[in-house]
Amino acid sequence: MKNRLKIERAILELTQDELANKIGVSRQTISSIEKNRYVPSTVLSLKLSHLFGKPVNEIFILEESEMPS
Amino acid sequence: MNVKSFMECERKSLVNMKRYQLPNIFKKIGVGIIILSLVVLIVNKFSIENIDLKLTAKYGILVGLLLISISKEKIEDELVTSLRMQSYTFAFIAGVIITLLTNPLFNYISNLISEKQAEHFEGVGDWEILWILLSVQVFYFEFLKRMNK
Repeated sequence: MKNRLKIERAILELTQDELANKIGVSRQTISSIEKNRYVPSTVLSLKLSHLFGKPVNEIFILEESEMPS
Repeated sequence: MNVKSFMECERKSLVNMKRYQLPNIFKKIGVGIIILSLVVLIVNKFSIENIDLKLTAKYGILVGLLLISISKEKIEDELVTSLRMQSYTFAFIAGVIITLLTNPLFNYISNLISEKQAEHFEGVGDWEILWILLSVQVFYFEFLKRMNK
């Protein structure tokens, strides 16, 4: 799964620390999501979606191989 | 049970796990108890050896490790919970493997080297098992946190 978290964060001119504070997680979590090392929970994804004003599937994108057949 | 409801159950169990955790300050208390216990063990070793004091200090190390293990991080979010679960799983597997292999194997080899007859495998004591489990969990959790920086 790819994600556009870094791009969306850059659009809002937020640092990892600022974004982490806004959604109540650690900077480490934001960094791990951006590097695709951690897939966030539904709740956290929805918080990010609300903050960026975009649907979840525009922030987190499934790869072709992960699409349901 | 389909995949989604299974994942929901798993998430709920992770949330429930937080109920059994202590505030972050207990991590420092745990470190303090371990240092104090180590000092007592060292002093005890080089003075008149008191077996009761030695046993108390050894169990002090376990209490300290347990406090560190179940204390919350400053920011206890879902990534930390996930890393904590990974560390408990790793500690459980590593603990069983180390307990089953290392000590009996070490005893067997040392018996062979010392040319004594290897009579039987000696088991591992309760303190050693708990020490292995807790220390592997604590150190692996710290390792995972550093890897995710």
